Amino acid sequence: MTDRSLSERIDEVVLGLASETEMAEIEALCAADADIAAQLERARSRFAALDDTADIMPLPDDLWQRVETSLDAKEPDGSSAAQSADIIKLVPLQKAVSKWRATALSGLAAALLLAVGLGWSLLNVAEPTIIAVLLDSQGQPIALVEGNDNNKTLITLLENARVPDDRVMQVWTKPEEDGSPVSLGLLAAARSRTLSVDGLPPPRADQLYEITYEPLGGSPTNLPTGPILGKGFAKLPVY
Amino acid sequence: MLGVARRMLRRQDLAEDAVQESFVLVWRKSHQFDQSQGQAKSWLYTILRNRCLTLLRHNDREIALDPMEAETASDDAILELAYNRLERTNDLRVCLETLEPNRRMAIISSYVLGYSHGEIAGRMGAPLGSVKAWVRRGLLTLRECLS
Repeated sequence: MTDRSLSERIDEVVLGLASETEMAEIEALCAADADIAAQLERARSRFAALDDTADIMPLPDDLWQRVETSLDAKEPDGSSAAQSADIIKLVPLQKAVSKWRATALSGLAAALLLAVGLGWSLLNVAEPTIIAVLLDSQGQPIALVEGNDNNKTLITLLENARVPDDRVMQVWTKPEEDGSPVSLGLLAAARSRTLSVDGLPPPRADQLYEITYEPLGGSPTNLPTGPILGKGFAKLPVY
Repeated sequence: MLGVARRMLRRQDLAEDAVQESFVLVWRKSHQFDQSQGQAKSWLYTILRNRCLTLLRHNDREIALDPMEAETASDDAILELAYNRLERTNDLRVCLETLEPNRRMAIISSYVLGYSHGEIAGRMGAPLGSVKAWVRRGLLTLRECLS
């Protein structure tokens, strides 16, 4: 049993191949040793990209109601509330009288719903420093691009594009006017999302943005090869 | 989140239950969330994935599978879609590409569909021992490639 390396056992926990006993053992090791916990977290982050490949589906309207009902049905025992200085303290909230819980829960629920429903990272875009409206060949707006100096770019699609099954939308920009286009990333699920790229200069006025249809996985040449869905130039918003 | 659960559990009602139960667990375990150890998103998805895995392991998958849904998406199509949606320049994709196809499929099936070693063996028509070896070697290569 012990001839298997710890890294392998951790990977199996992340993949979901570990037995419940094995998972409990690894969790115990993590609780006792911050280095092992960090190792587990790194292993998780290696596979996290696969979570983002699932379809984005709207949560049912009555979900929060159902969560609340479950919380009412089974009161937590509260005894396992081991705390440390680094831990976010929501425990006092949990102990609040139940009429307050609904309020607190809807607050948490709203935050989670926004975070999850909107694709999480949408929330992380600071006030945009540039905005571009991408137009198709008929001059119709198809996407809104908002970028900031941290190179986070929020792409909001303005209509449902019909992406062929063997194609994916890829977003491009030209940080330098006479340079090559650089990929900002894929809109794999053909939904609005935030793309983040390191190492680009802050976006500027008149910078070109465009979305093209590329083979699955993105352009094989790392330059736009497919038909253009829409393009536009950055403007500086007036605040 | 619902998409991840739906992909593993293959049934809308079970997937909704899993998300609901995960939020209940998030609420109950919120005192355990330690920001220094990772991001909220990772924590949330871990809870969800574990919930789905528990549901899968404790239910007979054959019974759980809704016959109406059976033909909507085959395992292969789901796995191929997941793999193809990984961006070509994504580190995980780059490293998965270097793996032998059997090893790659074994690893993706376990993460994406929540398959056990035995289920992967059944689906791929391979001996259990081989599947275990594929996964082990595949993971080793991935760790080296991604470190």
